[in-house]
Amino acid sequence: MLQFKLVLLGDSSVGKSSIVHRFVKDSFDEFRESTIGAAFLSQTIKIEDKGSQQEVVIKFEIWDTAGQERYKSLAPMYYRNANAALVVYDVTQQDSLAKAQGWVNELKTKVGEDDLVICLVGNKLDLCSGEEENSSKPKAVESSEAEGYASEQGLLFHEVSAKTGEGVRQVFQSIGEKLYESKKHELAASKGRHGVGETGNVQLQRPSTNDATSCCS
Amino acid sequence: MTVLKATMDLHESYVDDRRERISEPLCMPPTAAEPTTSINLAQTLFQPSEFDESLEEQLAQSISSCDRRHPTVSTEIPNIFPHEHDKNFLILTSAGKPIYAMKDSDSTIGYMGVINTIMSYFRLKEGQDLRCIENDDVRFAFLDREPIVLVAYSARGETSNELFSQLDFLHSYLLSSLSERKLSKIFSKRQNFDLRNFLESTDFENLNEICSLLCERFYPDTLLGALRSLSMRKSHRAQLHEAMSQQLNKEAYLPRGMLLYGLIVAPDNKLCSVLRPKGHTLHTTDLHLLFCLIFHRFQNLDDSQELWVPICFPKFNANGFLYGYIKFLSKGNSILVLISAQKDAFFNLKSFADHLIKDITSSGLLEEIHKSKGFKISDIPAPLVHHFIYKSKKHVQYVMPELEFHSDINPKEAMELERKFMNYYQQIHNSVIRDDGLSFNKSCLNFIKWESDADEPSEEPIAMLGLGWITPKFELYLLCNNGVEDKHVIFESAKKIISWCRKHESRLFVNEGAIF
Repeated sequence: MLQFKLVLLGDSSVGKSSIVHRFVKDSFDEFRESTIGAAFLSQTIKIEDKGSQQEVVIKFEIWDTAGQERYKSLAPMYYRNANAALVVYDVTQQDSLAKAQGWVNELKTKVGEDDLVICLVGNKLDLCSGEEENSSKPKAVESSEAEGYASEQGLLFHEVSAKTGEGVRQVFQSIGEKLYESKKHELAASKGRHGVGETGNVQLQRPSTNDATSCCS
Repeated sequence: MTVLKATMDLHESYVDDRRERISEPLCMPPTAAEPTTSINLAQTLFQPSEFDESLEEQLAQSISSCDRRHPTVSTEIPNIFPHEHDKNFLILTSAGKPIYAMKDSDSTIGYMGVINTIMSYFRLKEGQDLRCIENDDVRFAFLDREPIVLVAYSARGETSNELFSQLDFLHSYLLSSLSERKLSKIFSKRQNFDLRNFLESTDFENLNEICSLLCERFYPDTLLGALRSLSMRKSHRAQLHEAMSQQLNKEAYLPRGMLLYGLIVAPDNKLCSVLRPKGHTLHTTDLHLLFCLIFHRFQNLDDSQELWVPICFPKFNANGFLYGYIKFLSKGNSILVLISAQKDAFFNLKSFADHLIKDITSSGLLEEIHKSKGFKISDIPAPLVHHFIYKSKKHVQYVMPELEFHSDINPKEAMELERKFMNYYQQIHNSVIRDDGLSFNKSCLNFIKWESDADEPSEEPIAMLGLGWITPKFELYLLCNNGVEDKHVIFESAKKIISWCRKHESRLFVNEGAIF
């Protein structure tokens, strides 16, 4: 089994926790409390090796971080060793895309790993589906705009609804496939050794500097 | 009006009583507001045999003043408190900018301006801080914690000290979220900073939750300054502590000093077990904050996720953050909390937790925690007692029988019931505690009575009796069934409760915990 570390980033209340919950538990909670700090979850998926047609099991270890400004300085701890990052915005909030772009820039400059897979995800698609006319909100971020930005930056791009579940699984599926493709050769080389998933099974063990730093300094 | 009547009756009966005992060396200032007959005990230790004689004598006096009507005993106690007690909490900056109001209205901002002016006036003219304003039944309490000012307004009859500790709790919450260092940094740059812009929506939700706990629920934790503990068999608790110690010893991934504290907490904020370094304990207020946060914010979580939460424990170190690893041991049930000072200790603590949980699951201990249902008042041979709270001072913990609700009670009724209990206990507590929070004497025993005739012939007349008893070792607050008037019987019951609690001490309280 391969293990990959994945981190969710994005503005507060764009639905990061809801996406994770949909992926891990396949359920949705209308009144989810804001995340404080970060939550750690895991989930496995199966993908198909395109060459050998064999099934490969991938385990995601997921850091669902708080979107609130106050916890921003803690974020490096979560994305530092990540193999993939899900940068989420709310399709009904233009601001949230700008915040997402900020995260993408930060990841590109701060994460050394060239293979880091970044996926831009627009959430709350259900709000502008138009099926319920009354509750329908205008779509503030056009798909073409976000998609254009994503391809420019070399990101994966998806629009989803954590509420209905639309597109959520595909996000993780495509990340898994992309990670598998890029790691396949490394994996083959290290096959003899134990710990195929070493790349993903990272321990956060760098020495801590001190305990007095506040999370919001 | 029932309640008004009740209060008036109270005053009359107690004034008489005081006159009778005027020659006694009273150690409390006799204020008219205290509806109590007071018996002060010279003993500093609980010694039942010596106790009886002197107390019996004093009891006889106070009992003779009670007129004996035909007692009607009821299992349900009446609610004699008005539903709409007026109470509010306001938080503002030292510059007078509003931060938070429990009950917000259009005039709140105006009030805050007035408050700020009055406080400044006192500081300038009198050279000291304004702490309290009393007017008949209404009391304002002011807590100045530069750069934050907190104000409580209440018509519910709390002591100043109780209001101060509630304000301190709210202030502690702000510190736990921001830390003192951050707060002073913000305000040293700009005194007129609007803190509302810096607080997150979660902060306001948490403040709402804490206010609701303090005002609407049966939450004696801040009143007593103690934690509620989970009762479980002595041997099970010992095994649990043993398992924690053992795991710590064999955990290679956990460098020394990385884990500061470990706690297992059961629902309703009940402490189950503690893992701690020798000579260190966490402050009760810090733990109250932690428990509030956990059971409010994370109540709909399950065991599939683990949390890593930065939190400042203001009484431990108001300037720094600690990090809490939090995991539910099963949905909606007990939780494991591991605390570290290192922000990247998550995976080390996770490994510790995984092993510990595996261990206590396979040995059946986890099942024992979940099975523990507390005890009922009927488990104790204490006739005519409806409910009680027993606090062990040594442990800084308290226990009480589980509230027994009808199965078909709706949430609103349940909340009313909780508030009724809280009101009774507040008044019993206030009858043995001075306004500044100290007890009248090292040992002190008080009966308190609420009386009222029934408004309707079909209704039961109200004759509620409560007992507050404080010694250096324990505090007992006891509420009788409606209609009970025999203080002898109640005193005997109180003694039985105390013996029972002491006999089962190691079952009821978390003693040392696992120490490393």
